[in-house]
Amino acid sequence: MRLVTLSAILSIYLLRANAWEIPENFAETGHSNNWAVLVDTSRFWFNYRHVANVLSIYRSVKRLGIPDSQIILMIADDMACNPRNPRPATVFNNIKQHINVYGDDVEVDYRGYEVTVENFVRLLTGRLPPETPRSKKLLTDEGSNILIYLTGHGGNGFLKFQDSEEITSQELSDALEQMWQKRRYHEILFVVDTCQASSMYEKFYSPNILAVASSLVGEDSLSHHVDPAVGVYIIDRYTYYALDFLEKVEPSSSKKLSEFLKVCPKHYCLSTVGVRTDLFRRDPKTVPVTDFFGSLRPVELTMNIVNVLPAHVNKTQPVEPEVKYTYVSQFPNLSSYT
Amino acid sequence: MRYLIYLVISTLLVYGLPYSTAQDDFFDEELLLKPLASGHVYAYFQFTTLWEAPNNVQTFQHSHLFPRGLGEIIGRHKVDELHISLTEGLWNYEKWGYPVHDAGSGAEIFAWFNKNVSNVNNEWKSLTNALAGLFCASLNFVDSSNSMSPEFSFRPTGIVKEPPNSSYLRYSSLPREIVCTENLTPFKKLLPCDSKRGLATLLNSAYIHNTNYHSLGIHFRSVCRNAGCTKSSLELRQTVSLVYDTLTEATQDWSIRKLFGIGIKGACPLASLSNVYIDMTSNETVHVYQLTPSPNTKVTSFRGGQQQQLAVYDIRTYSNRGMFNIAAIYTTPKTSSVTYPSVLYANRYIIGYGQERGSLVTKLHNNHWQSLDVILLENIPWYLPVYLHTVKVICNGQQIKPLIQRYMPGRERTRPYYLELVLRLPPHSVTKFSIELDYLFLKWQEYPPDANHGFYMGPAVITALLPIARNYTALPLDGSTITSSFNASRNGYLVQLRTESLLISLPTPDFSMPYNVVCLACTAVALAFGPLHNITTKRLVLKNVTRNWKKKLLSFVKRLTKDTKDKTD
Repeated sequence: MRLVTLSAILSIYLLRANAWEIPENFAETGHSNNWAVLVDTSRFWFNYRHVANVLSIYRSVKRLGIPDSQIILMIADDMACNPRNPRPATVFNNIKQHINVYGDDVEVDYRGYEVTVENFVRLLTGRLPPETPRSKKLLTDEGSNILIYLTGHGGNGFLKFQDSEEITSQELSDALEQMWQKRRYHEILFVVDTCQASSMYEKFYSPNILAVASSLVGEDSLSHHVDPAVGVYIIDRYTYYALDFLEKVEPSSSKKLSEFLKVCPKHYCLSTVGVRTDLFRRDPKTVPVTDFFGSLRPVELTMNIVNVLPAHVNKTQPVEPEVKYTYVSQFPNLSSYT
Repeated sequence: MRYLIYLVISTLLVYGLPYSTAQDDFFDEELLLKPLASGHVYAYFQFTTLWEAPNNVQTFQHSHLFPRGLGEIIGRHKVDELHISLTEGLWNYEKWGYPVHDAGSGAEIFAWFNKNVSNVNNEWKSLTNALAGLFCASLNFVDSSNSMSPEFSFRPTGIVKEPPNSSYLRYSSLPREIVCTENLTPFKKLLPCDSKRGLATLLNSAYIHNTNYHSLGIHFRSVCRNAGCTKSSLELRQTVSLVYDTLTEATQDWSIRKLFGIGIKGACPLASLSNVYIDMTSNETVHVYQLTPSPNTKVTSFRGGQQQQLAVYDIRTYSNRGMFNIAAIYTTPKTSSVTYPSVLYANRYIIGYGQERGSLVTKLHNNHWQSLDVILLENIPWYLPVYLHTVKVICNGQQIKPLIQRYMPGRERTRPYYLELVLRLPPHSVTKFSIELDYLFLKWQEYPPDANHGFYMGPAVITALLPIARNYTALPLDGSTITSSFNASRNGYLVQLRTESLLISLPTPDFSMPYNVVCLACTAVALAFGPLHNITTKRLVLKNVTRNWKKKLLSFVKRLTKDTKDKTD
């Protein structure tokens, strides 16, 4: 079957000379769907850059094909429509305003006060209240590749949420272990852009996780540049170069994860990018970037002709009873009160 | 003239027939542009979906033009009527008149549930959660602690079988809620043409969020299907209200392109009516301007003693030549004047000092020559306990007795304070309502991360039936589209003013205090611990020192000198 699929794809490819390149391992990826959990944990205007960080990744994964229904975006504060923003409804990654990372089509799933440690852990582990809407659930299964991206202010072994609480690396690794035991993922790419970021993944003990951190323990992650019109730093170094790399990736491109791990060398980042590969079973040199940043859409081509018969609609209209309806007076009758 | 409108509408209906023969639903898109006397331009979009079907779960299993996502939520939670608004900014009733739909700043939601809902509170909780997911707004923060069931202020605007019982009504407001592109995106996705075609292409986030006031609204209700009103249809109005400031620009001229950043491309093919109306009533009196291109038709509407001039543009007749723009070119220099202030408007503020107690004041201005009856609904959060005996309603130095008063005291963490008064405002008067309140200390975990920013208090709602329709734009109860408001004289004109939402600083503890205490205590312990540890663990022992003759001699000399010193003293 797989051969048939491949040959069908190849024939289409030959027909359309300038069609996309088909990745070599198109049918061999071990996962069946892609999800992304993108979290900005910082509130307040001076943390504008963290919102720009998370929106940069959001823009990339959306551009590479993960649908909004499979992206959980958590943003702790509103920068785009903040009264201090001189250009309403925009968040730029660059002083030259190359890319409006906020875009015209954005869906924020958790925002403002909803971004808490409790909600984040509940989201990962799937232990949510019954009335939670679908867009706030991480409905993954054992075939899901998940990209988890966190940005905010952190320290050795913790990441602050909204300046009032923090998640420790132990809590995070326990949550991921719970996900593994519940078969909620196939593989995870964990990216964290914060100070002393590598401390966040040191305690991980669950399999199939590839972790990337913008700085090692004892190092600060630094911001990239300031926009005087906005008045604050607008993006962090690591994410700036990560976005720079991801902008060159196409859904069909064969760029490998090992290239992504090298996006920010020390003379760009001013901090050392930490990578942890011991839990990950595959070699990053063979894994396409789109295994985590793109989306896999299971498509099976068939050469058979399918006859679609017109649906036989036997719609029996229930007879509506005739009832006397009325409009209600919008103001009380005060004659009895005066 | 009225005949002419009907002619236009009927031709449009015929135009839209190919899409509506098989289905029993209709979609209309309209835009009303109204230059206000204050120099602002009010733009009101309305997207109306009418569906000739009863409101039940089976209906929402299949949908055509009606948004399925919203329909499913309405059907599952047995909602009879639903109103949501997401607003940024404050509508200035005094200078701008009355909007088509009133909305308080932040998020506001109220719903009427069906009579066979057994537990309204649970259904309300799950409804707001579902809507939070649909509109990317934090509506899930609505629960019984900030919801109420006012008896008079909100009546069903749709048709009902039996007299309504307000225990099936829930109203809540979240004044802190922000409105941004993430709310506009799902809003546009509910439209049958999305934002690809029709008037919705004008909804560009950068041009919406730079306005003085913007409000998104969802209004769902049941309306009559036939003249006898024996069958019901479903009506969904999606509205966008915007107020642009033209005075701060170089010229007062405005156009569709200037306001929305893009011209009109064409009508939504699914719409049976796609019109742009420009209210030209203030032309020649306040401002003088010319419209290009000239409109298809001009309509004169008489309503509630007021005459209104409207220019009507049918998009279909203009768009066959490609993208088009409607511009207003002013021939007079910039002007801003309020000729007739609105009949009724209100404002609200907090007085008092300190963080222990204060007083809430709402001022109601009646500019009419007759007395006006109004309903004042105060929505006071549970952490601001009010004292009913301190209610004062004063007008011209005299106390006014409310005609009706409804009060339900709040309960900490479970119920807000509900106060509803029916007042008769004397002619040409300012009435001052005041009530004293305390500021409560919260538990330390109940403070939000930015506790020092303060807490928001939702707007008061003032409902009145105005006798004249001056500066009035709302649609009549029995109408669905903007056209229905032309020549729609009725017995009264309902307005529901929203006052300012207030920012209150509650007594906030110093959150670094525990940290300071820990540091201080640790320092004290460390200082005390060292000597105590030394004393208790170390033993003082005599040390035998064997000395050679040199040291013995030295100590002898030392002793001698010491002795002599002692002597000299």
